[in-house]
Amino acid sequence: MKDRLHGNGIGGRVIKRILAGVAAVGALGGLGFLYYAWYPSIAPVPRPAASSFSAAQIERGRIVAAEGYCAECHTRTDMGGGPELAGDYKMDTPFGAIYSSNITPDEKTGIGNWSEAAFHRAMHLGVSREGEHLIPAFPFDHFTKMTDQDISDLYAYIMTRPAVSMAQRPNELPFPLSLRILQAGWKLLYFWPGVYKPDPRHDALWNRGAYLAEGNAHCGACHTPRDFMGAEKRSSDYEGAVVDNWIAPPLNEHNPTPTTWTEDELFQYLRFGVAPLHGPAGGPMSPVPHRFLSTVPEEDVHAIAHYFADLDHASERQGHDKAALALAMEQSKAGLIGPNTDPDAKLYQGACAACHYNAAPTPVLGRPDLALNNALWLDEPTNLYQVILHGLTAEEGQSGIAMPSFYNALSDQDMARIAAYLRRTRTTLPPWTDLEKKAAAVRKTVQHVPVNSSH
Amino acid sequence: MGKLERMAARMDRAAGLGPTRRGFLLTAAGTSFLFGFARPGQAAQVFPRMADDQPAGGVFEPTIWCSIAPDGWVNVNVIRAEMGQHVGTALARIIADEMEADWDKVRITYVDTDPKWGLMVTGGSWSVWMTWDQFRQAGAAARTVMVEEGAKLLGVAPTACIARNGSVIAGSRSITYGDIVSRAHPDRRFTPEEMAKLPLKPAAEHRLIGREVKALDIPAKTDGTAIYGIDAKLEGMVYARPKLPPTRYGSKVVSVDETEAKKIKGYIRYVVLHDPSGTVPGWVAVLASSYPAAIRATDALKVTWTAGKTANVTEQDIIEHGRKQIADKNGGSRVFNDAGVDKALAGAAKVFEQTYTCSSVLHYQLEPMNALARLHDGLWEVHCGNQWQSLFLPVIAKALEVPESKVVMRSYLLGGGFGRRLNGDYAVPAALISKAIGGKPVKLVFTRSDDAQFDSIRSPSIQTVRAGLTKDGSIDGWEHHASAGWPTRVMAEPFMSKGDDGKAYDQFAIAGADHWYSVGPMLVRALDNDLADDTFRPGWLRSVSSGWTPWAHESFMDEVAHATGKDPVALRLSLLDSKGRNAGSAPDSVGGASRQATVLKRLVEKCGYGKTDLPKDTAIGIATTFGQERGMPTWTAGAARVRVDRRTGVVTCEKIWLVLDAGTIIDPDGATAQTEGGALWGLSMALFEGTEIENGNVRDRNLNTYTPLRIADVPEMEIEFLPSTEKPMGLGEPGVTTIAPAIGNAIFNAVGVRLRHLPIRPADVLKALQAKGGATS
Amino acid sequence: MTKFKLNGRDVVVDVPEDTPLLWALRDDLDQTGTKFGCGVGQCGACTVLVGGRATRSCITPLSSIEGAEVTTIEGLDPQGRHPVQEAWKEIQVPQCGYCQSGQIMQAVSLLKDYPDPTDEQIDGVMGGSLCRCMTYVRIRKAIKKAAAALREETSHG
Ligand code: FES
Ligand code: FES
Repeated sequence: MKDRLHGNGIGGRVIKRILAGVAAVGALGGLGFLYYAWYPSIAPVPRPAASSFSAAQIERGRIVAAEGYCAECHTRTDMGGGPELAGDYKMDTPFGAIYSSNITPDEKTGIGNWSEAAFHRAMHLGVSREGEHLIPAFPFDHFTKMTDQDISDLYAYIMTRPAVSMAQRPNELPFPLSLRILQAGWKLLYFWPGVYKPDPRHDALWNRGAYLAEGNAHCGACHTPRDFMGAEKRSSDYEGAVVDNWIAPPLNEHNPTPTTWTEDELFQYLRFGVAPLHGPAGGPMSPVPHRFLSTVPEEDVHAIAHYFADLDHASERQGHDKAALALAMEQSKAGLIGPNTDPDAKLYQGACAACHYNAAPTPVLGRPDLALNNALWLDEPTNLYQVILHGLTAEEGQSGIAMPSFYNALSDQDMARIAAYLRRTRTTLPPWTDLEKKAAAVRKTVQHVPVNSSH
Repeated sequence: MGKLERMAARMDRAAGLGPTRRGFLLTAAGTSFLFGFARPGQAAQVFPRMADDQPAGGVFEPTIWCSIAPDGWVNVNVIRAEMGQHVGTALARIIADEMEADWDKVRITYVDTDPKWGLMVTGGSWSVWMTWDQFRQAGAAARTVMVEEGAKLLGVAPTACIARNGSVIAGSRSITYGDIVSRAHPDRRFTPEEMAKLPLKPAAEHRLIGREVKALDIPAKTDGTAIYGIDAKLEGMVYARPKLPPTRYGSKVVSVDETEAKKIKGYIRYVVLHDPSGTVPGWVAVLASSYPAAIRATDALKVTWTAGKTANVTEQDIIEHGRKQIADKNGGSRVFNDAGVDKALAGAAKVFEQTYTCSSVLHYQLEPMNALARLHDGLWEVHCGNQWQSLFLPVIAKALEVPESKVVMRSYLLGGGFGRRLNGDYAVPAALISKAIGGKPVKLVFTRSDDAQFDSIRSPSIQTVRAGLTKDGSIDGWEHHASAGWPTRVMAEPFMSKGDDGKAYDQFAIAGADHWYSVGPMLVRALDNDLADDTFRPGWLRSVSSGWTPWAHESFMDEVAHATGKDPVALRLSLLDSKGRNAGSAPDSVGGASRQATVLKRLVEKCGYGKTDLPKDTAIGIATTFGQERGMPTWTAGAARVRVDRRTGVVTCEKIWLVLDAGTIIDPDGATAQTEGGALWGLSMALFEGTEIENGNVRDRNLNTYTPLRIADVPEMEIEFLPSTEKPMGLGEPGVTTIAPAIGNAIFNAVGVRLRHLPIRPADVLKALQAKGGATS
Repeated sequence: MTKFKLNGRDVVVDVPEDTPLLWALRDDLDQTGTKFGCGVGQCGACTVLVGGRATRSCITPLSSIEGAEVTTIEGLDPQGRHPVQEAWKEIQVPQCGYCQSGQIMQAVSLLKDYPDPTDEQIDGVMGGSLCRCMTYVRIRKAIKKAAAALREETSHG
């Protein structure tokens, strides 16, 4: 269960993209660089007593941890899962697997003997207590923006978790990628440390949202494209990116859905995992609302929603929504009303329409309308295929309801037919190409066949 | 005697049973047949469901068909398969009406196989027709005894009594049937002669027949309690899925590699079936502790076969083979072979000829094939829904190499029959797998793609119709040649009919062509497409050949009308003159062709055929048939209004009208339901569904590419039954027969192009329009 | 090991998590009212409610419904008298009956979304539920009847 739900967590996807860039760092070098790269070890301390933190601080820390999704990448999901925060989360990379570290307060295998200063340094500068550079799969380029207070609170929370003695498996990175020093080169090129500075042109809610999104919540780690060195392209903030065979869609005005991601839509999505006019959160995005943002103060989720609604200029674009919705409701019934002999329409009718059909004026919650969904409007059918193949569990997307897995039910050719048909009848965009090949490619990325069904 | 009754008698003789067994001996009370066996975990097939399905002792069982218990409940034994026609309710109505039973105390029991039942078959819309006399006599026998015994108990003469609603009434006093049974313990017997002489109620006295009724099996079909074959379950049962060979016949297993299958949790083993009956040659079955494990393990099992000789056969090969057969004047069987037909055509002013084809059709009954088998107390039990137990019980016995008396088929509801389960071939492998594991219970379930590949499809067909036209355009001389796979030859050869030329033929691969039009001397020639028979096992599919022969002759009739400048309706009416062999005969076809003319006239009135105020590219077409079989005609006329999209070639059927004369209607609502279903099957096969043979197998195996009609495709429908007191005819199938030709004729009327292949595909319409210069882009 | 709520009761099934819900229901939990038709999510015979929404159980893995609420035809109403079932009997919808559990569950779900469904809405939602006996005319009629009954119920209840 765990495996399926969280196996594609955020960390694994980020690291894969970063490591591609890291390989190039080998070319850098030189002594000056070594100087830049050198950090001292910070002396170990005895594990601080739980009583040294106030309950209020620990609770604040819990929220910080949730808003940074720590548990997502620091909890093992393969081999039957592992204790929360005890690390050993496996991230497959083209170069070999790497494993996240144990961040429970165990003194031997975890970070129990890290002083608060060491913890601050790790969060702000991406350096371990021992002075080693951390692989940027750990998104310190975002965490650097966090306030000292938040980091202290987080420290309090982490240090009061149960200590788990569990060593992670050794990374399988080949030499020279295994040299931590190389990470420093990457930092030299791409890392600008510094706490978030509020933008005086915006109000407190906006700044709160920006602080979370840019910092702790590290949204750009998935939604901003990366360059060949695996660094986020600052010129393309939130333009959307391919992350481990899913497309993390653009979060700015380039998001292609016909209706705008308004503050409310974003809030519903981030808080409950489903936006009435856009659909449910699937795949790697699913834990973000369900496991994390549903457990933090509502205000913070509003703040993030507010920030992105501004970023995508929702208020300027919203005027088109009414017409877009009306069109989508027309498209939603295409091929389904009255007699139809088009074999592709029939396939859609049999496999999908009972759940996805909608009638004017607006979609029913629980009937995600495909004419309004990202999956049909992105440049590639990737997410459509992913969802068709995997389905959604009752814990994903809209809570308590499930979408079946069509892994055995639809062949690559069938999926291609559905994709082409939907793009043709439910969007105004040009057709996708090579649909069957792409279906096969996405199918290949499914590691465990979700359901043992017949054909 | 009807064809089926003749078959039944023949079968009984073959089984060494005397003719009296089928008579109506009034036997002593006995309950042994009433589910004396255990069916663990399953409700017996008794409706309505009751807390205690075992009748109390001391029931009066005037015939094997019905009994009256001391508590007044009447049980009717139904040997027909329930697959949606509510046959038990219809049959029980016949007995109950004649018996004057209280309908609220009638229940039906779907019985297992037992030689005493005689022929067990459900198909061809025969059930009511075959049971009509039998059950009325059985009811009369029960009523007679109730009146006699009731009169005694009331102390009056029988003539002073009437039977009504489960009681015997004399003036102001009455006694219930239940009380009569419990107090008088009747056990009177009748000789068959006495039975036959029992007075039957006149039609005017019918109190249940023809009245609205709620079918007894329906409640259980709305709450999940109805038990179908696939629901059967026995203690210790394992699951199996077939691994199908590349060809239906002639494949041989070379090697099996179970390495990958062994990795599937729950996999038990595979079995290479040895089948002395030849039903499932080359089969391997995979056993597992759960069905999902069986699914996966079957996929994982690697089997190498040498394929049979049909591995590369295509639909086109079969059609071309049929075309050659038709071109050769010598083959086949002559169903009608009237003297002078050659001369008539040779001397005709013009010979008009057309050829029509139909694609393969899958049954796609919604419940995939399945059967559960085990050896229990020395008896091989096969649990499954089946339409023709009498046909396959012997085959199962042969496969198991045991006497027939050692096999019993337990009855279940059928999740759709449509003729698929007339062929019980799926029961054989279940029995063989059980045998391979020492008789332990095993449930064999086909996945849908297995089911489709193994289906006994409706064979593709090719037909040529030829008419001799006189100078004034009237028809003198008619030939109809039809080539298709012959299900009856393959599965039930002794049941084939004999043609005028003395040669055997499959009546279910030609019926319909032997029509009731007077068209001068007629030759109707049935050709067995042996390439089809070799490639797959042709099946009987709803309305059998009457689902496709009218496609030829009713399209053709319109073509002749247009070619000779006549109105298609007027032409037909002029030919339905009830002369000669078309005069009809009692009891089944009283009135003959005149009744067909009557339904056609009524249809024309209803649908406004010929009206010209329809929108552009929209028109009505008509067709008329006699439903199922010449021997049991349900006079049928159908019309369809279609709209043709010249740009896409898409044909939309907007409305269907049907007028039928099926004799007495026992259950009007059920009759309508059957006809609605039939008509939509007709529409589905005309416009929506069809497959083709590719590499020796059907191309379409599931709904991703096989596209039967769905709810949104349903047109408006008007169905009317003409009132009649004649013998009731079948209704399961006639609804199908006229739809396709009516649509074909309507398309011609709408846009002037003639389609001669089923299903009618937009691409073909477009091509025809383009050829005619009538397409718009 | 999967835990979920079936017809209001907590159940635990100890079968592989990739087992389709359909087979767990039919073979492990003895609820055979839910039927196997196509096995590929395209006929609707296996439709049950998950979290109140019609769901094709033949391709829904157990892992997906952990903790969810599942309702089958057997659990729709303790007496089998849900207004949709009543309408089904009244109109005599079922022929062979095999598709009808799925049709009924789908219709229940339809009426939740569209309490007064138009023909279009019936087409849109019920188009995925195949009835090989072609009882479609009656399905449409019964849905409308049930809708009226349900509205009556809400207005008086
Ligand atoms: S069996 Fe599940 S949709 Fe057909
Ligand atoms: S009633 Fe038979 S499939 Fe629907």
